[in-house]
Amino acid sequence: MPQVRIIAKNFMDMVASLPAMKLDNLYANAFICEAILRSLPPLAKKYVLQMLCIEGPVSAKSMQEWVLADGASKHKVAVDRLLQLRIFTETVDRKRERSYSLNPVFQKNLQKLLISGEVLPREPMPTGITARLPSLEDLDVFAIEQWECFLLQLINSSPAERPSNISSSTMKVFQRGLLTQRDKEAPRLTESGFQFLLMDTNAQLWYIIRDYISNSEERGMDPADLISFLLELSFHVTGEAYNINSLTEVQRETIKDLADLGLVKLQQGRKESWFIPTKLAANLSLSLTDSSSRKQGFVVLETNFRMYAYSTSKLHCEILRLFSRVEYQLPNLIVAAITKESLYNAFENGITAEQIISFLQQNAHPRVAERIPAVPENVTDQIRLWEADLNRVEMTPAHYYDEFPSREVFEGACDYAREWNGLLWEDSKKMRMVVKAEIHKNMREYLSRSK
Amino acid sequence: MGHGDHKGRPSKKLKSSAKEEYKNAFNEDEDSYFGDEMDDDLREGEGKKRDFSKLELKPDHANRPLWACADGRIFLETFSPLYKQAYDFLIAIAEPVCRPESMHEYNLTPHSLYAAVSVGLETETIINVLNKLSKTKLPKEMIDFIHGSTANYGKVKLVLKKNRILVAMNLQVLKRLLKDEVISRARITSEGLHGNEGFTISKTMGEMGTGPDSLLNEAELAAAAEEKETHSFEVDPSQVENVKQRCLPNALNYPMLEEYDFRNDTVNPDLDMELKPQAQPRPYQEKSLSKMFGNGRARSGIIVLPCGAGKSLVGVSAASRIKKSCLCLATNAVSVDQWAFQFKLWSTIRDDQICRFTSDSKERFRGNAGVVVTTYNMVAFGGKRSEESEKIIEEIRNREWGLLLMDEVHVVPAHMFRKVISLTKSHCKLGLTATLVREDERITDLNFLIGPKLYEANWLDLVKGGFIANVQCAEVWCPMTKEFFAEYLKKENSRKKQALYVMNPNKFRACEFLIRFHEQQRGDKIIVFADNLFALTEYAMKLRKPMIYGATSHVERTKILEAFKTSRDVNTIFLSKVGDNSIDIPEANVIIQISSHAGSRRQEAQRLGRILRAKGKLQDRMAGGKEEYNAFFYSLVSTDTQEMYYSTKRQQFLIDQGYSFKVITSLPPPDTGADLSYHRLEDQLVLLSKVLSAGDDAVGLEQLEEDADDIALHKARRFMGSMSAMSGANGMVYMEYSTGKGKLMGHGMKIKPKDPTKRHHLFKRRYG
Repeated sequence: MPQVRIIAKNFMDMVASLPAMKLDNLYANAFICEAILRSLPPLAKKYVLQMLCIEGPVSAKSMQEWVLADGASKHKVAVDRLLQLRIFTETVDRKRERSYSLNPVFQKNLQKLLISGEVLPREPMPTGITARLPSLEDLDVFAIEQWECFLLQLINSSPAERPSNISSSTMKVFQRGLLTQRDKEAPRLTESGFQFLLMDTNAQLWYIIRDYISNSEERGMDPADLISFLLELSFHVTGEAYNINSLTEVQRETIKDLADLGLVKLQQGRKESWFIPTKLAANLSLSLTDSSSRKQGFVVLETNFRMYAYSTSKLHCEILRLFSRVEYQLPNLIVAAITKESLYNAFENGITAEQIISFLQQNAHPRVAERIPAVPENVTDQIRLWEADLNRVEMTPAHYYDEFPSREVFEGACDYAREWNGLLWEDSKKMRMVVKAEIHKNMREYLSRSK
Repeated sequence: MGHGDHKGRPSKKLKSSAKEEYKNAFNEDEDSYFGDEMDDDLREGEGKKRDFSKLELKPDHANRPLWACADGRIFLETFSPLYKQAYDFLIAIAEPVCRPESMHEYNLTPHSLYAAVSVGLETETIINVLNKLSKTKLPKEMIDFIHGSTANYGKVKLVLKKNRILVAMNLQVLKRLLKDEVISRARITSEGLHGNEGFTISKTMGEMGTGPDSLLNEAELAAAAEEKETHSFEVDPSQVENVKQRCLPNALNYPMLEEYDFRNDTVNPDLDMELKPQAQPRPYQEKSLSKMFGNGRARSGIIVLPCGAGKSLVGVSAASRIKKSCLCLATNAVSVDQWAFQFKLWSTIRDDQICRFTSDSKERFRGNAGVVVTTYNMVAFGGKRSEESEKIIEEIRNREWGLLLMDEVHVVPAHMFRKVISLTKSHCKLGLTATLVREDERITDLNFLIGPKLYEANWLDLVKGGFIANVQCAEVWCPMTKEFFAEYLKKENSRKKQALYVMNPNKFRACEFLIRFHEQQRGDKIIVFADNLFALTEYAMKLRKPMIYGATSHVERTKILEAFKTSRDVNTIFLSKVGDNSIDIPEANVIIQISSHAGSRRQEAQRLGRILRAKGKLQDRMAGGKEEYNAFFYSLVSTDTQEMYYSTKRQQFLIDQGYSFKVITSLPPPDTGADLSYHRLEDQLVLLSKVLSAGDDAVGLEQLEEDADDIALHKARRFMGSMSAMSGANGMVYMEYSTGKGKLMGHGMKIKPKDPTKRHHLFKRRYG
């Protein structure tokens, strides 16, 4: 798959990129309409609600009057987004006047939702059948453990270390693009894999899910169906049990994969089996919006480049190791140092200075988080400078010429190269020159001509 | 003391067996996470990484401030409510590795524990308190290490009492010591005043001085309540050195503590001096003094305070407490004057009781007790002296000094100390310094030559307390101009590398820009430091500023410094490395460093120290709730040259103290600077040819004799060029600046006599 730079919250882009027909089908599901609405930029949300009960198009001109002059750019963003998602359809009349109307299916569903409230496709199972459901805390622990386990596996790609509770086939599904596996070699993290590890959990979740969706067709599943199922899942109540029998065959397969990631917990009773959505599943629709709930930070970074991480998690330790030198591991503290070498290592793996810095900022310990800046300025500056240092050399493919038969030929050649703006270097004493590779061909022709 | 290691690496002074263990334990679970090319860096790190995650956390760990690792490393949270107590305790028992804002690191080393014992802490107290403060159960290895290191320290004390030299210890140790031939021979048995074969048994209250307060109470009381029985015997004064030698860790391993019971010293006449009422020692000064005078006696040792934090007041206070004759040693004539001034400023000493002994002023005090201020060189000088100074030196040798006060102990090489200490008899030695770091290993010698480190202040705490200036440190990156860099890279210019990167026109322009900015916009007083004499003269001439270097006479120095202090027209002076230490210039608040001495961490700290003296009131500086910087330290480095590497190394000490260096990449700002020098290429080329045509010797480093640190540095960096120039003055010859002028010239330092026409107009008059 192409090595695109990861953009953290791009799920909606993917929804927007679905073919028009599929997108329209999606809106048949009321939950999706709600999820989409939630994900919109504030202004776009307002427009949708404003136009919810208006039948027929609203002219672009009158819409423009809704905003103050300085909100013009936001207005444009909102409208573009709505068009992209096919929530708005644009019509241009004969006078070249533009007007927008709401997608009728979307509109109807939202109206229904407002009037009658949401109705899940399945009810929670009665407590009589499902004896002893895990408490919400237990469920959280399960979800986090499962998720960290998945991430740890990414890092410790050596098979011996692999914990057994995630099936390797699922791993492969989720790890595409994050790991490269060459024949007979231990799988290694790819550039995006390294970057992936530094993202926050919600962003990671979306990255994984996005991949999972875009590969769904290979597994014989319709991406639109998958999207609608995932969004639907996010509306289930965390901690309640839902009967697996209420799912389709394909959905049942999916739910197994999701269980491996910790999005749901599977349990089996005597006759029935059920799934319990965890916090992670609820986050599926939450993280669509930009308000990402922050976990408590744990990293204290000092002006002397030493890093103290209040964490017991092995995963954290491994993540810090991506760009620092871990020196001490204590029961609840990891001591590491950011060095030039450790950073060069990270840069080589494709991690950027900005990613490291934003990781450090996002995970700053509350003790230092109030400090401005939370990460010492001299450290962030230095990290950027070290990165910039690596980018100082610019490569230009070139050809080297020497042993010119005479000074005239040499000078002629120099002039010729200059004309083509391709002369990189010349040494008139020893009659040597270097020219850009792109004019090499012309140069050769020129030289053979001048012989 | 464990200063060899920078970047917070664990001390190498660990018991090697313990070290092995961890390495093995760690390697097992730390195998191949990464493919092969995850390379040397990690593998190198492997040896240093330590996994102590198996340590048991105490249930209330959140309330306790520190973690202790089996290898001696200790981490301290500074935001803990117990921080202050824990800090006082740790600074007494461990060596600070780095002390930034939130988390401090310390190392337990044999030396630091030696210091702990010598200020009166007992093994069990150390372990108990450490255990109380620790979030985890103390690792067994650490307990063993403390036991092992402290078992014998402080068991034997060397006391000068009623002018007899007594060795005091408990019975067991006594038996062991007397078995040793050297010691038993040195013992004087005939004078057994108290019978009992010349042993004296006395009961002393085990005083604790100031331990970490409230927290320690329990342990402290227990220790204090315990009455200790001490045995002592007298030794022959001429044998003291040998006895000491035998007691060192490499022989009997009972390192001696030296204490001076000055209150009961009736033989040496008292000196009538008190601190003046306006001399109010600050809390940390009090604390350092209390460590020294913990049990009513004076302990020998070293007190480490940042420059500008008031070391001289500590010295004067110590002298006024002991109230005996005091010999004060400084590094050069200027600081001799300053010390004499400080004595008069802070204490009630009469003018005729204090005298300076330098090549210029040979004074003598009246009466039978007094203070003599002189230089190390004057005392240790081996050559022929004038009749007058011979007499004075004889007096110094014959007198029994109550206190030997030694300034800037980090600069003076060990053999110099040996000489000074063997020449002068003193009851108590107090060393003062700001930076106990050297690039060679000589620091550890100080432990046994003077004594353990008694106290070390935390720089950041002093900044917060407003006792020293809040300095903005910056590293200014000056790209080499194309022409200079081309020359820099040429092999034939290897000897001129330094001159080339110092004379880099971009650096000059940055320097000029900064001087203008600070002089005009802020009205600051600026010191520009350059180690390279050629650069110093070029810069100073071009910018028309006064300069001081090794060969500047004492009179001229004083004049220039006076002008800098008082005149509104002299706001910038150029100093060579003579200005690094102990020249007190309280007015200055900006330093621009254009060239420096390779990777010397100490020089960097010392130079910063020139501007640390607190400026203004704390409230003023904290105006608006935002802490304002009131002093500025700029280090100009030419990018892509050796300087960059040195610069990182040099800053390590300050960074460990919690300072941070901001990198400035474009000075002067891109769209300005047309009015600065060397704006035009032609000018730059003229400068270049000047540098290239100067003799190799002229563009080298200035050689000063006081500094043996050089040698270690130069060894370390495989210096290509002027080895010959350096061999002339490798720190074995000592002389005073004023007399050494002629000799300096002899060492191949071509210093052009100042052309009077080029002299700054302000100074013309003085010579007119």
